[in-house]
Amino acid sequence: MNDLDFKQDQEIAKDFLINFADPNGEAKYMNILQDVANRKTKAIQIELEDLINYKDLDEEFLRRVTENTRRYIGIFANAIDELMPEPTEVLLEDDHDIFMTQRAEEATESAGGSDPQKKMPPEIKRFYEVYIKASTKGRPFTIREVKASYIGQLVRISGIVTRCSDVKPLMQVAVYTCEECGFEIYQEVTARVYMPLFDCPSEQCKVNQAKGNLIPQLRASKFLRFQEAKLQELAEHVPKGHIPRTMTIHFRGELTRKVAPGDIVELSGIFLPIPYTGFRAMRAGLIADTYLEAMSVTHFKKKYEEYELRTDEEEEIAHLAEDGDIYNKLARSLAPEIFGHEDVKKALLLLLVGAPHRKLKDGMKIRGDIHICLMGDPGVAKSQLLKHIINVAPRGVYTTGKGSSGVGLTAAVQKDPVTNEMVLEGGALVLADMGICAIDEFDKMDESDRTSIHEVMEQQTVSIAKAGITTSLNARTAILAAANPAWGRYDLRRTPAENINLPPALLSRFDLLWLILDRADMDTDLEMARHVLHVHQAKESPDLGFTPLEPSVLRAYISEARKLSPVVPRELEEYIASAYSSIRQEEAKSNAPHSYTTVRTLLSILRISAALARLRFSNYVAQSDVDEALRLMQMSKFSLYSDDRQKSGLDAISDIYSILRDEAARTNRMDVSYAHALNWISRKGYSEAQLKECLEEYAALNVWQIHPNTFDIRFIDA
Amino acid sequence: MVGLPYDCLANPLGAVRLTFEKAVASGSEPALLDGKDWGAADLFRQFLFDDGGLSQVPFLKPSSITWVQPNTLVRFRGMIQDMLGNEYYVGAYKDGDTWRTNKFADASRCPMDDSSDMRIWERRLLYCVPVPGQSSWVEPSNEAMKNPYANSIALQREKRQREDHTPMADVDMAEPDHAQEDSPSSKKMREDGAALQQVTLQKSASEGKSSNSDLVGDVERNSFPCLVKIYDAPESDLKLNDVFEFVGIFTFDPDLTLDRDDTDDFCEDALVSLPPSKVPRLHCILHRKLVVNDFLPSPQLELTPCAIKEVREALLGHLASVLGNDRVAAQYLLLHLLSRVHARIDSIAVGKLSLNLTCFNKESMSVFGNHLKLAMENLLPFTQCLPLTVDYLNSVSLIPKKDYSTNRLVSGFLQLAEGSHLTIDETPIQTGTLNSMGCENARVLKNMMESQKVEYDFTYYKVEMDADVQLLVLSEGKSNILPADLVLPFRPSSVSSILGVDGEMLKAWRWYFAAMKTLPHSIEPHMQKVVEDDLVAARQADRSLGSQEFSRWLTMGRLMSVSFGETCLSMEHWQMVKELERLRKERLQGNL
Repeated sequence: MNDLDFKQDQEIAKDFLINFADPNGEAKYMNILQDVANRKTKAIQIELEDLINYKDLDEEFLRRVTENTRRYIGIFANAIDELMPEPTEVLLEDDHDIFMTQRAEEATESAGGSDPQKKMPPEIKRFYEVYIKASTKGRPFTIREVKASYIGQLVRISGIVTRCSDVKPLMQVAVYTCEECGFEIYQEVTARVYMPLFDCPSEQCKVNQAKGNLIPQLRASKFLRFQEAKLQELAEHVPKGHIPRTMTIHFRGELTRKVAPGDIVELSGIFLPIPYTGFRAMRAGLIADTYLEAMSVTHFKKKYEEYELRTDEEEEIAHLAEDGDIYNKLARSLAPEIFGHEDVKKALLLLLVGAPHRKLKDGMKIRGDIHICLMGDPGVAKSQLLKHIINVAPRGVYTTGKGSSGVGLTAAVQKDPVTNEMVLEGGALVLADMGICAIDEFDKMDESDRTSIHEVMEQQTVSIAKAGITTSLNARTAILAAANPAWGRYDLRRTPAENINLPPALLSRFDLLWLILDRADMDTDLEMARHVLHVHQAKESPDLGFTPLEPSVLRAYISEARKLSPVVPRELEEYIASAYSSIRQEEAKSNAPHSYTTVRTLLSILRISAALARLRFSNYVAQSDVDEALRLMQMSKFSLYSDDRQKSGLDAISDIYSILRDEAARTNRMDVSYAHALNWISRKGYSEAQLKECLEEYAALNVWQIHPNTFDIRFIDA
Repeated sequence: MVGLPYDCLANPLGAVRLTFEKAVASGSEPALLDGKDWGAADLFRQFLFDDGGLSQVPFLKPSSITWVQPNTLVRFRGMIQDMLGNEYYVGAYKDGDTWRTNKFADASRCPMDDSSDMRIWERRLLYCVPVPGQSSWVEPSNEAMKNPYANSIALQREKRQREDHTPMADVDMAEPDHAQEDSPSSKKMREDGAALQQVTLQKSASEGKSSNSDLVGDVERNSFPCLVKIYDAPESDLKLNDVFEFVGIFTFDPDLTLDRDDTDDFCEDALVSLPPSKVPRLHCILHRKLVVNDFLPSPQLELTPCAIKEVREALLGHLASVLGNDRVAAQYLLLHLLSRVHARIDSIAVGKLSLNLTCFNKESMSVFGNHLKLAMENLLPFTQCLPLTVDYLNSVSLIPKKDYSTNRLVSGFLQLAEGSHLTIDETPIQTGTLNSMGCENARVLKNMMESQKVEYDFTYYKVEMDADVQLLVLSEGKSNILPADLVLPFRPSSVSSILGVDGEMLKAWRWYFAAMKTLPHSIEPHMQKVVEDDLVAARQADRSLGSQEFSRWLTMGRLMSVSFGETCLSMEHWQMVKELERLRKERLQGNL
């Protein structure tokens, strides 16, 4: 490609900068240039996206820009030089401007001498920086995928920053003055190392054979800020059995100080080689180091609220949302390798979704996070469930009650070994702010941590008053706890309260408490034996009967759901209130209350209902949500007290009958619709199959009549 | 090898160039040859495997590095310990009007001017070390092969090191003259090559003992690393901790000590810590993954079903005598030694069988511990022993850790090759406090026991690497730090002095392990029913049994039938497993 073509391309670039209009019809780049002229910004970021969307797009030009980006930055800069408007505001002159005016005057004086060495390089006049940003469409490369064939091209990669150097000045144009002739000599620096000039190359000195000494002028030279960093592949991009790759990144000018070690970033930049110089080049002349000259930096966002969907994900979610059975489908996809526990998984799904936080006018906050406690025998896959949830959640911390370090769960004040200053170090709960904190071995937790957890669970803050620091840190986290029963295994001869050795004040803070018992059951044993045999024989997991959704899809769906904040419509208020009061009454009636139904319970119902509404992508809580919430709460209670029920002598069928009869009596009606009946009994934790059985049995006894088609119930007056 | 214009063994680069020229002459665009082989690998494959040239290729090891010539073909066996990423080099360039290549070479033969047309290609750098815990009998011997330079060069060099001013001419003499007149270009290459070698030799000679021999001197036998440069091979072929044999061109440039011209301490380079004068380079042409069989002396033993039974009996007897006539322990040890992870499902490693022998004390440990260690070393190719103490746990990181200041993966004790055996001796442990590193180490060990995975520490995140290591724990009581699959109280009845085992026997046993380990296994439907019923009945009787126990029994069943050389679980073997488990349970109860 010759210069002529570059000239032509400069015209194209110019044309683009003048004529490109953003969706609002504004000349985007001319506005930026005006800002630059007014010294409001320094960076001019040319987005390839805009180039693609440009109406007179030249495909070839676009290709050339992506494949030879460094050259085209220069071309764009030249085009911008020609286009730069006059400042519209009065500017204070700084050193740089004074230099420039002086130089301009000198230039006019000695206009005759067209000495190439004295010609000012365009860089020194520029007070802006040009970046070309890669298109954000599609997936960024992993470091591994950037191969030799990409050298010189614009690429977009993602990774984690592992090391950063200090920001140092990088000379861009060296300026010298000659002792003899007094001229300013400019030298452009393009590489990391350069050979300074010593002899004045100007016409005058050459003619006079003066060999004027050159004195470098630091103030007049142009420097750029420069920073080096190392980028490493993300853990999820490393193929199994491989080591993460690293890449050197160079940041210049405005892009410096944008990253710190540990940041997960997406970069676009030009992949360039640095040939070895000097002796090294002679011996090993074949090998080149490579680096990425950064063009833009984007930090990854990990919170749900900031999760950005890709187009294909959007489609998939829309598709899923249309599916009626999404609640079950999502729940089953949680930890698919753990067999059964459907209701537990449903509860965990709701924990992931959560309800919106409410802030009342008087400043009181009501938490939206749903707390769940799993209690159960050892070896019932509690820990696996916890770990899986942490994997699905974009921000999750897994810790054990005992295993956490000195910082513990909450926060600690520590002395910095270097500066001797007191520093606050957040514990697991603080680190899980806006996420999920899974605490295994909850029962074995230190007493001190357990007290502070009371605060975290309701107020969602951690308060600290240590070593002269009094502060309160946010800990807006949903807590998922797993605990073993008091004697290691659940002792059926003792009461549940004895088995759960957690204080009621803590227990009442959990929205749902689940007991997972390992019951002696021939069928499950056979199931287990078959499973193990299958695993050993077929060397794969048995077919689940469905394809679980990928964790990434799950994450995307949940993040979409979390964007909504459903409200309870007025007509449902009465319904919820009556449901709550009936639970309270039931508890008052029984002489040994199992649970402590308080206002917290009511809030729990609201939270769970809201989470269910979110899952349906609805802005309003429906009655079905409330019913499901009540059912889940009932199921969680039954997991604890199902033995009691059996002791009371009522089998499921007669219990269902009494529920229906009581409800009918309460409302003073003789007709009960099937849907209503199903509602009531499912709230008490019975299944539809049991209802049908009950209906048939009692119809045979002529207690009621069943409508043959709709299954509606009509009590026969006795 | 008459008629070949090059010598694959002594001048492999010549062969590479020749094929390159051929490929270019036949119309291949040099630009398109990136990441592709133009026939060089095929040529070498034919030479090495089809024409039996492999046995003539010397092994690169501490004893041979003093006489192996640079730019000749060598082979190296080792484990991939670290991956240093890609290296970009000028793969092809135009010298005047002809294309030349730099593939498989460190430096260019002809000076290149900057303006010339060139293509940048890439190669991968692997840092390989000898397999950790390699038993002494595994060492491949160079003596077995006839080496053309073995005598002449080594002598010459020694001589030269004594008297510095010996003319260099003898280098050329020492190299066998090859008929290569028919190819002028390859001749040119050869001359260049020879010239370069000369320089290299001269340098190393003038530096005296500071280069080659130094490497052997101050670096112990176990850490003889090699930097392998991989061309073309797909990434998925070579994984961390895999054991490979690399055949390639050996380069060793002691004078390439890079004085870094920029003192910028940020731009660290993994290669700086691996100066070419310390770590030899190998430009890999061909590589193959090694299995245990490859480490055994050929010829392969034919194991008939009858012979297998005999070998098994003898082996069991040997193990029993090592274990003080404890037959039960010997049985379990045999199963344990045959175990390997053959599948990973969800988070379970199927096939692992770690063994915890309890009831050791200081005295019995000193007797049986050493016997056991010796027996393991004799039977298995890779064994390691780890005596646990609180101090050790607190001070040494067992897991590999990435060091960002040198950009290297610092190896940890638990970076082991697939199929290694690890004996953990818990008896020296005393009561004490574990610091955070100790806790982390204990957690890592436990994790490895349970799921056969080791987390490598990359500071910002951890990467889990699959491991397949047989774990044997020796302890006083049941180890709680290291929950093994099997806990067996050890009951020696007699102390036998270590008996000498004759070499033929050992050979047969090694073959037995190598062959039996890889046998397939299946369970017939009718057996499946029996097993299923047994499992359910066991669980009905004892509620504390879980899927872990079931899994263990099935593994044992598999190993039991495999130990007889059978691929199907039979009723007899299943009963044997149940009987063994019964005996073990009795012992455990007796111990309480």
